[in-house]
Amino acid sequence: MYWYVARRLAWAFVATFIILTITFLLLEVTPDAQAAQLQFQAAQGGGSAEAAREAYETRRGLDAPLWERYSNYMINVFTLEWGWSDTRSQPVVEAILDAYPYSLMYGIPAVLISTVVGIAIGLYSATHQYTLADYAGTFVAFFGISIPNFWFGIILLLVFAVELGWVPVLFDPNVPVFSVANAKQLVLPVFVLTTAAIASEMRYARAEALEYVNAEFVKTAKAKGADGRRILTRHILRPALVPLSTILVGDLLGLILTTSYLVEVVFGIPGLGRLSLDAILNQDTALVLGTTFIPVLIAVIGNLLQDLAYTILDPRIDYGDR
Amino acid sequence: MATESGDPERFEDVDWDELGGLAVPRRTLAFVASLVAYALLLGYDYLLVAEDQPTIPVAGWNVTAVDWLFLLTLLAIVFYGVVPLVVNRRLTVHYWHQFRKNRAAVVSLVYLLVIFVVGTVGTAFIEPPQLDTLAAYQPPVYSSVPADVPVSCAGEVVDGRCQGTWAHPFGTTGQGKDILKMVVFGMEVSMQVGLIATFITIVLATAVGTTAAYLGGYVDEVLMRYVDIQLTFPTFFLYLLLVYLFGGSLFLLILIFGLTGWGAIARLVRSEALQRSEEEFVRAAKGAGASTPYVIWRHLVPNVSNTVITAATLLIPSLILAEAALSFLGLGDPTVPSWGRVIADGRGDLSSAWWISTIPGFFLFFTILAFNFLGDALRDALDPRQEGGE
Amino acid sequence: MSGNDSATPDAARDATSDATLDATDREGRNPLLSVRDLRVRFRTEEGVVRAVDGVSFDVYPGETVCLVGESGSGKTVTGEAITRLVKSPPGEIEGEVVFDGQNLSDLSEKQLRKIRGGRIGHIFQNPQNALNPVYTVGWQVAEAVRLHTDASRKEARERAIDLLDQVGIPEAAARYGDYPHEFSGGQKQRVVVAQALAANPDLLIADEPTTALDVTIQAQILRLLADLREEFGMAVLLVTHDLSVVAEVADRVVVVYAGKVMESGDVYNIFEDPAHPYTRALLDCLPGRGGETRGIPGRLPDPTNPPDGCRFHPRCPHALPECREGAQPPLYEVADDHEVSCVYYDGSHDPTAITGEASSRPSFPDGGGGGGVSDRANVRPDDSREDEDDE
Repeated sequence: MYWYVARRLAWAFVATFIILTITFLLLEVTPDAQAAQLQFQAAQGGGSAEAAREAYETRRGLDAPLWERYSNYMINVFTLEWGWSDTRSQPVVEAILDAYPYSLMYGIPAVLISTVVGIAIGLYSATHQYTLADYAGTFVAFFGISIPNFWFGIILLLVFAVELGWVPVLFDPNVPVFSVANAKQLVLPVFVLTTAAIASEMRYARAEALEYVNAEFVKTAKAKGADGRRILTRHILRPALVPLSTILVGDLLGLILTTSYLVEVVFGIPGLGRLSLDAILNQDTALVLGTTFIPVLIAVIGNLLQDLAYTILDPRIDYGDR
Repeated sequence: MATESGDPERFEDVDWDELGGLAVPRRTLAFVASLVAYALLLGYDYLLVAEDQPTIPVAGWNVTAVDWLFLLTLLAIVFYGVVPLVVNRRLTVHYWHQFRKNRAAVVSLVYLLVIFVVGTVGTAFIEPPQLDTLAAYQPPVYSSVPADVPVSCAGEVVDGRCQGTWAHPFGTTGQGKDILKMVVFGMEVSMQVGLIATFITIVLATAVGTTAAYLGGYVDEVLMRYVDIQLTFPTFFLYLLLVYLFGGSLFLLILIFGLTGWGAIARLVRSEALQRSEEEFVRAAKGAGASTPYVIWRHLVPNVSNTVITAATLLIPSLILAEAALSFLGLGDPTVPSWGRVIADGRGDLSSAWWISTIPGFFLFFTILAFNFLGDALRDALDPRQEGGE
Repeated sequence: MSGNDSATPDAARDATSDATLDATDREGRNPLLSVRDLRVRFRTEEGVVRAVDGVSFDVYPGETVCLVGESGSGKTVTGEAITRLVKSPPGEIEGEVVFDGQNLSDLSEKQLRKIRGGRIGHIFQNPQNALNPVYTVGWQVAEAVRLHTDASRKEARERAIDLLDQVGIPEAAARYGDYPHEFSGGQKQRVVVAQALAANPDLLIADEPTTALDVTIQAQILRLLADLREEFGMAVLLVTHDLSVVAEVADRVVVVYAGKVMESGDVYNIFEDPAHPYTRALLDCLPGRGGETRGIPGRLPDPTNPPDGCRFHPRCPHALPECREGAQPPLYEVADDHEVSCVYYDGSHDPTAITGEASSRPSFPDGGGGGGVSDRANVRPDDSREDEDDE
């Protein structure tokens, strides 16, 4: 088992390495927008475009051989030397540190609520298959996975902020974290994120639990004299957690990382998504790289955790096999 | 017919060789012929027609790269989707009876067919929405806004309120573009994204999944490790990076989603094909000396088709949603009238002109919902095992 | 014990229940389990499935009763309906199940839980799936112990190890912490048996406990069950389609077909003088009964729309016009502790049309394929082969 964990860790490391290398190569083969701009400016100002480019490359260390640039790049990535953000005039790492608390503010409640509620509804649906509640749950799930988040957010803003005035239209980043005002302005973002996550989680939870609701061993447990709650938690939920752990870490993470961009744009939250998007729109290369590394890194770690969760939860995994 | 028992046939029971006697060679021939014609036309467009000239001058239609891909996708759908259904009528009737039980799915199918036809055929006949600042902010028909919202009201002004007109049934944007037209052109974009990227996904996922399962060993190991990496890398962020580097384009977006989104389905296909490749008929074919591509194409692919079709149908809505989301963020193709972009355009005018963001949103929502319903019903009809329990 | 709505039920019922009482009065005991007119319906999209349609039988303390029939005959559902394990909805259970003087149908779910696994143990068909894959086998046996006693964790563990030892798991203490996938099929079934025995039940309901196992393992498990029955003095209700198993372990046999009891009685009566055409057909399917193994021609009736009259008449070579109408015939007594639901035994027909002149049947299947083929021609209608639905 330890051998498996070690190998899995090594694999996560290799995957990160490969992804970083691909990113590096992508950057290598594409024309540098900033260099082009400097060259253009130099040419317009009557200077030598070539000299401007060389000066730029020297400043950036781009004149070094490919291998050296590659190793510098890798070292910088792992030592958190992520460069300087031109548009924000601060180090990339600092910009990220400034932004991430805002992402966590709505992200954490959304993950917690959707996990608990999603699994609970899914289990209930599975154990009450073909009842009215089950149909209602299924309908809600379809609604949740189908409604475009960003549009849903806009509609909610239109109704609750513009028309009813219950919540502020604009997000105020300066209110204290633990205050009614902050809770108020976070309600809609959390709700939007939760709807999507609950929908996909309850679908998975229902499908997984259904696999076990009719399982022979659940009948065995009932025949042993176990009561309904014991059967549900010990004999259905526990084995269902094995595949569910995959969804929880993997899919939920992906969903939330992607949705965070939209939610932050719609509600004007200055979190990581907004930071990343602004960097893209403003052609701030260092910041773009920094802010896309974060979700990619989270995805790699999430994948790792998911596999480890599997090994802990499922005794059947054959460690030698993988 | 493949079987003579009274049991309802399933997709995988059908021996594709025997379908209607000569029909299959004929279909293959027809498909190859259309591919050749397609290739010739493609070559003509790229080698002989200048970049900014319309490919078909009579229609004034400049066929873009996306259009070419879309044509290829439609060809594949016709030859491997519509033709088998028409030829094998008994099977079609059987599936239709299964499918018909789900009323939501039938409604969804009708809705999607309308969207598809209007989006692909209708766009050829109507003018693209034009910028017209005079016609900006017209409200939809049967609704009204204060007369000072539109630059000049196209309808009547009653009690200081501008009434919507049939000239712009869904109203207009802040640039005076007709929203109905935007919606229709948005249909085309959504269909292109959903169908082309899914087509690419199906081809890659089936090829990789069946090959990995059938050959096993190192091939399997290498392919599946690659899938691992691909699944680790979030497609969304790959696209962000590429948009940053190359600029947003519909073609790029479709390619990226198609080329990187097949990992999960390939895994599904592989596990399904693994079971199948142990079965008698596959081993018999192998024993009889059939070549690897032949066995995969003739025996494994038909047998995983249900899994693939179901997974693919459920993939389409997420692709459409992703495209709309990226366009909404301003990272999509600026030359394409995507629903997501219209929604983003109306965001600033939410309090005065509610219809700009909401109406395209409803179409987006219902399209995604319809695909989800359809995928769910297809799964029930094609692959009952996927639904848990009995 | 006819639980059906026949035209003249009273007479038949009286006669039969007297017969039953006679059989028991010899030993002066009351039945441990008494099932009366048990009905189980499932509401499905295709219509109402009457899986069990008025089944009655008794199990006396310490004896082994076999419930025999083809797959889909309702025997498994009968076994599960006794302690209401049948999922409801979609299942609906009616009828009377008296266990040790207590009517189980009147009990609350909570009271029933005490009976399940406490006084009535269950073993299911497929040991591969009967154990929860994410818990150790020890935990699962100990869970059964703790559910019915107030044993501490430690005591439950010790008891579980004892039980595992008793059912023949070698090095039980060492294997306590192993997971089900580390056990073979036969060993898993032993673990399932250990679970079922955790609270010293008075009745063990075993549903095809050996079907999913290899032949050699089957014999071991059957021997284990027989040994344990002797050791614990419990009664066993064995649900099976396998007549060779019945011949080996049964004291009494209840033959069910399409949710109805066709014939019931002492195992010797059933095997030596099978009275119902269905029973005879089943016995003819046995290997060692003269030649090839064959199925019974025809199919089980549509459970949503069973035929009128005797359920077996569409497949019965002796069917008379009166077999096709009314309800299932009542159970007529043909001998001491032997009754059959067939019009040939109502006194106005000649049963030898079924049994042939010589009433002696070939001996038990394990007794080799002795002679006695004289009557078979009557039972085997034609040679059209129809695979038995079973497994």
